[in-house]
Amino acid sequence: MTQNKLLPEVRSSLLFATLALCLTGCVTTRVEDARVNTTGLNEGESVVIMAKSYHQGNKTESEYVSCLENALGRGSKGLRVIPSQQFVDSLFPWFEPRTAPAETKGLTKLMDRPGVADAVEEMGVRYIVWLDGDTERVAQGGSLSCAAGPGGGGCFGFAWWQNDADYEASVWDLDGFESAGTVSADVSGTSFLPALVVPIPLIARTQTAACKGLADQLRAFIVQTT
Amino acid sequence: MPLDVALRIPEEFKQFVHEENILGKESWSIDLGGANETFFTQLFGYLFNSLTVIGANDDARDYQFDALIEPTIDGFEFSVPNQSKTETFAVWIRYRLRVYDREGTNASNWTVSAYGKSQKEGLSGSSALQRAALLAMRDAAALIIMQLDRATQISALANGGLATPKPESAVADARDEPAAIPDESGIFVIGGINDDAE
Repeated sequence: MTQNKLLPEVRSSLLFATLALCLTGCVTTRVEDARVNTTGLNEGESVVIMAKSYHQGNKTESEYVSCLENALGRGSKGLRVIPSQQFVDSLFPWFEPRTAPAETKGLTKLMDRPGVADAVEEMGVRYIVWLDGDTERVAQGGSLSCAAGPGGGGCFGFAWWQNDADYEASVWDLDGFESAGTVSADVSGTSFLPALVVPIPLIARTQTAACKGLADQLRAFIVQTT
Repeated sequence: MPLDVALRIPEEFKQFVHEENILGKESWSIDLGGANETFFTQLFGYLFNSLTVIGANDDARDYQFDALIEPTIDGFEFSVPNQSKTETFAVWIRYRLRVYDREGTNASNWTVSAYGKSQKEGLSGSSALQRAALLAMRDAAALIIMQLDRATQISALANGGLATPKPESAVADARDEPAAIPDESGIFVIGGINDDAE
């Protein structure tokens, strides 16, 4: 009897899962890391996620930075993440796009500046993660047309597009002022939009997949479970 | 800096509004006046021993100071995604800082060119343009903090010291997106920032 009662719920869950699976496009993900030094995170230590300067030609989206901050800080194994804007404001003007250090060799001198080391210590920042990369549409095709009249409307056709999300995170360890290594995520996703009267979007969440993949690998890299 | 400074905000600076029609498609109106006044008041209040803000029509001789700074906007430009064929808004602001000694002699003219860029978010783009303008103002603030004394020798005006008027303006230019030239300290240096200025 119990089995019979549960059956419709299981059925609807399965139907929902199948629908959800059907309504997403194809995504392939490759996440890699290259370690230079040992890492680890002690009690009270935190991480800050920063986009590399646009003066260096970087185009990392602010929503990707926010996504990574949230993903890294979420869950029981979440890291303590200092919001990048708070970090930049606390250390003004040393982490502005124009003035941010481009390489680790400038960190020692930067820390000697009045107030910098104190602000970093107060926030407990152990790692600065510099993000480079973006999500771009690399290909698209197909055709779709829609029409509407007094009797109703509809669409007919098929369109597709491919987005590539390539991001690289360079991890700087402020305990020793050296690079700990890099973690990269390369995600490619193709979305489809078939329409036979009603368009059915099958969207590939490329950037979201890159965010999740990089966050998981970055967390493992920093606490060194890999 | 150990200086008593007066800040004179010209009326046109206080009420600066940039209006532009792009390719007959969009009209933009950007009001920087209030933000600029607050920006320079806070910045110089932080940089100097004391700051007195005087009105555009006030007689400077009625006030005690080592140096008087008068900011103006020489140029304001922006680009929207339609123009740049990217998903970004960019803003360039060119400030001019005129520095006078307590006798009213023009000691220095300094042009500060600042740049800000922000990703398009949402449909209207006004918040992204606002963010780009804010980033340009922060860029100017960073330049001023790091370069002001080197570019204007304002500290030489302390206690009535007279500066030698400069024949040419000092220019810190970030109009284009220049390539990164790391200095020996590793600080990302563009637009003439010199880390040894401090």
